[in-house]
Amino acid sequence: MKSKFYIALIATFLTAYVINASARAAPVRKKLAIKAGSIITISGADIKNGTILIEDGIVKAVGKNIEIPWDAFVIEAKDRVVMPGFVLAHTSSGLDRANENVPEVPFLSTFDSIDPVSFYFEDSLRDGVVAMLVLPGNSTLLGGTGTVVKPHGLTVEDMLIKPYTGLKISLQPTGNTSRMGHMQRFRRYISDLKDYLEEYEQRKADVKEENKPFDEEIDIRKQPMVDLLNKKLTAFIYCDIAADVPKAIEIHETYKLNTVLVLGPDCYKAVGLIAQKKLPVILPPQLVVWETNEETNEEEMKVIPMIFDKAGVRFAFQTETSQYGSRYLWYQAATAVRYGMKREEALKSITLYPAQFIGVDDRLGSIQAGKEATFILLTSDPLDAQAWVDKVMIAGEIVYEKEKDQRLKKLIEKPEEVQKPKDTD
Amino acid sequence: MKAYVILLSFLLLMPASAKDEQPEIMAIKAGKILTMSGSPITDGVILIKDGKITDIGTGIEIPEKASVIDAGKKVVMPGLVDASAAPPVRGDLNEEYKEITPTIRISTALDPQSKVLKRIVQTGITTLYISPGWRNVIAGLGAVIKPTGKTPKEMIIKEDAALTLVMSEDSLYGNQIPRSQPPRNFYFRRPTTRMAIIWMLRKSFFDTQEYVKAGEKDDPDLEILASALDDKIPVRLNVRRAINIRTALKLAEEYDFQLILDECTEGYKVAEEIAEKKISVVLGPFYYYPRNLSQYEGREVNWNNAGILTKAGVKVALTSGAQAQSIDLLTATAFAVRHGMPKDEALKAVTITPAEILGVADKVGTLEKGKDADILILSGDPLKVTTRIEKVILNGKTVYKAE
Repeated sequence: MKSKFYIALIATFLTAYVINASARAAPVRKKLAIKAGSIITISGADIKNGTILIEDGIVKAVGKNIEIPWDAFVIEAKDRVVMPGFVLAHTSSGLDRANENVPEVPFLSTFDSIDPVSFYFEDSLRDGVVAMLVLPGNSTLLGGTGTVVKPHGLTVEDMLIKPYTGLKISLQPTGNTSRMGHMQRFRRYISDLKDYLEEYEQRKADVKEENKPFDEEIDIRKQPMVDLLNKKLTAFIYCDIAADVPKAIEIHETYKLNTVLVLGPDCYKAVGLIAQKKLPVILPPQLVVWETNEETNEEEMKVIPMIFDKAGVRFAFQTETSQYGSRYLWYQAATAVRYGMKREEALKSITLYPAQFIGVDDRLGSIQAGKEATFILLTSDPLDAQAWVDKVMIAGEIVYEKEKDQRLKKLIEKPEEVQKPKDTD
Repeated sequence: MKAYVILLSFLLLMPASAKDEQPEIMAIKAGKILTMSGSPITDGVILIKDGKITDIGTGIEIPEKASVIDAGKKVVMPGLVDASAAPPVRGDLNEEYKEITPTIRISTALDPQSKVLKRIVQTGITTLYISPGWRNVIAGLGAVIKPTGKTPKEMIIKEDAALTLVMSEDSLYGNQIPRSQPPRNFYFRRPTTRMAIIWMLRKSFFDTQEYVKAGEKDDPDLEILASALDDKIPVRLNVRRAINIRTALKLAEEYDFQLILDECTEGYKVAEEIAEKKISVVLGPFYYYPRNLSQYEGREVNWNNAGILTKAGVKVALTSGAQAQSIDLLTATAFAVRHGMPKDEALKAVTITPAEILGVADKVGTLEKGKDADILILSGDPLKVTTRIEKVILNGKTVYKAE
């Protein structure tokens, strides 16, 4: 009787295992080797005809003369350029709505708003982006916390790289508020928060005196701001005009925050101050702006990345879907190189630096032993307009292939048959 | 003797300006010259005199008194020709007192002091076509200009270069009066449907034919239309959707005028039909997705519109777009190639092809003996985004130099 039960149990497990195994998608190969024509490692020198060894989605070794284990699956990419996928340090696209219309909502999270089937993510993957910090928009004072996702997956949980990353603060007043009122609202929020924390600590001390357990938790609506003050969250402060920059720095210094500045096109005028404080910066999507010189009444071209590069500020690029060219991170980097930025630095500004700003540089941003096997395979040099993303590999798994991209095909190939209407008259 | 006296007095009167004047002969030495009229020249020389190219090729002896620009290994190509650009004029581009305004000339509004000119020159454009706005069914006359000169007259190289007709929805926009409300404007405007646009065009052409038959000479509007029907002025017809392109082709056949299609967003759908009629296309600005086109009617976009049209045998010009803000024409060319346009054709589409479409190919578009010395010196391959325009020479004079 007992043995019958065991047989039934084993049978159930076996069936479950078989069903499970067949239901799984193509399994991630444990050991992989990519033989690439050219490897841009970002962390070190470029390698010609090199090999990348991958085990369980992690880079084991990268170099020129690496022995490939007999059981590794080899991906031949002799005519491809392999480099780490692009990282986008700031975006508000792909959200159902980017801004809440109440100004103080630090407790909101973009995790609840990301739309995985949005075209934006599909485009991003096609354009070689492998990680992006999705933050609330630029129109809310305390907009909420962000989420680092990869543009691949059908649910936010699938896409998730790092939840609860960065808190968006916008210094751009909205509605009928003036800049004075806007700043005052921020200061009042912080002072209310400090009062609350003092009272909280007092209550904690009182309870402790009575030798009772203290089980009151911090108000979850205030938690993100508390984490911000404790440097557990990074502040992403949006400055719309140059005059907002000193205010952002005041906030940064008064409350001793971890800060990344998100800049509007006008903010290059405050470059000296930003360089002095050594703050990391996310540049506006429009990199070349025209300004009228008030003395000569002539237009002058301002190349924003060059202004920051010369001042020694470390920055990351961001993109904009509506604008021509600037929807691609590589185009942003190429534009900077056109006006004299060093190629290596420009490439770092779309890979390693943004990864550092959003705290995923332990996994992404360069090709190094120990980091995640997340690369893009390009048809030629990344800064060349003729280069296409041929394949995207995320953690050892190929998630995008250009030849299988049906939508792209529809966008660049001639429609199959367009009927010519018969003349009826 | 007389000439000598004049020259002498000139020198005496203007000693200050003599410094600014460049020497008579200029020579450019470059590693690679893309002439656009034949195969590229390696290690060639261009000789310039009085703003014209006097000689081009290899092994040319440089005169002693010539000022030499040594471009080293850099790339030299003709200045870009933009067949549809934002006009350097002040104020609105649309005259809305009437829907049919063939006598409105954009050239009369040209502003030589416009700040936009510097921007145009820096993007490498040395010849551009400008036109009145697209709010009227027959909007008026466009002109071909160069972004240099002290007076409008100095800027214009071809006045009345084309007559602008608008078949896209731009000429309808805002004309519809909301129901149960009074008209917004005293000048209550007419076409409110696509049908009415076509009707108004047909009516104008019909009136013109009758006018010509009657042998009258007193209507300036119809005079312009008559010369358009007589192929003296080409017709630039703004269309976006495939259905309208077909209608435009039909109208051109019916009234027998020289048609150039403007914008042509859905041109890829009717590429063969356009090629068959040997009609040139001046493409509008490029958009990635229909969702960016909420206000435009061209709803189905193909990124490779230029490439598909070219492969079908249509003469295609790429433009920076009359309505767009500061799109770099060379970058547009690089992207056209990215999306499938052949490399050589793409470079022609911003030089010789638009020059031919605009009817100024005898002056600009290639680097050849006798043509205007409009020359770009580039740091590398023109189709690379990392390449910078380092020098722009317009009519033999350096008008822009990168720091």
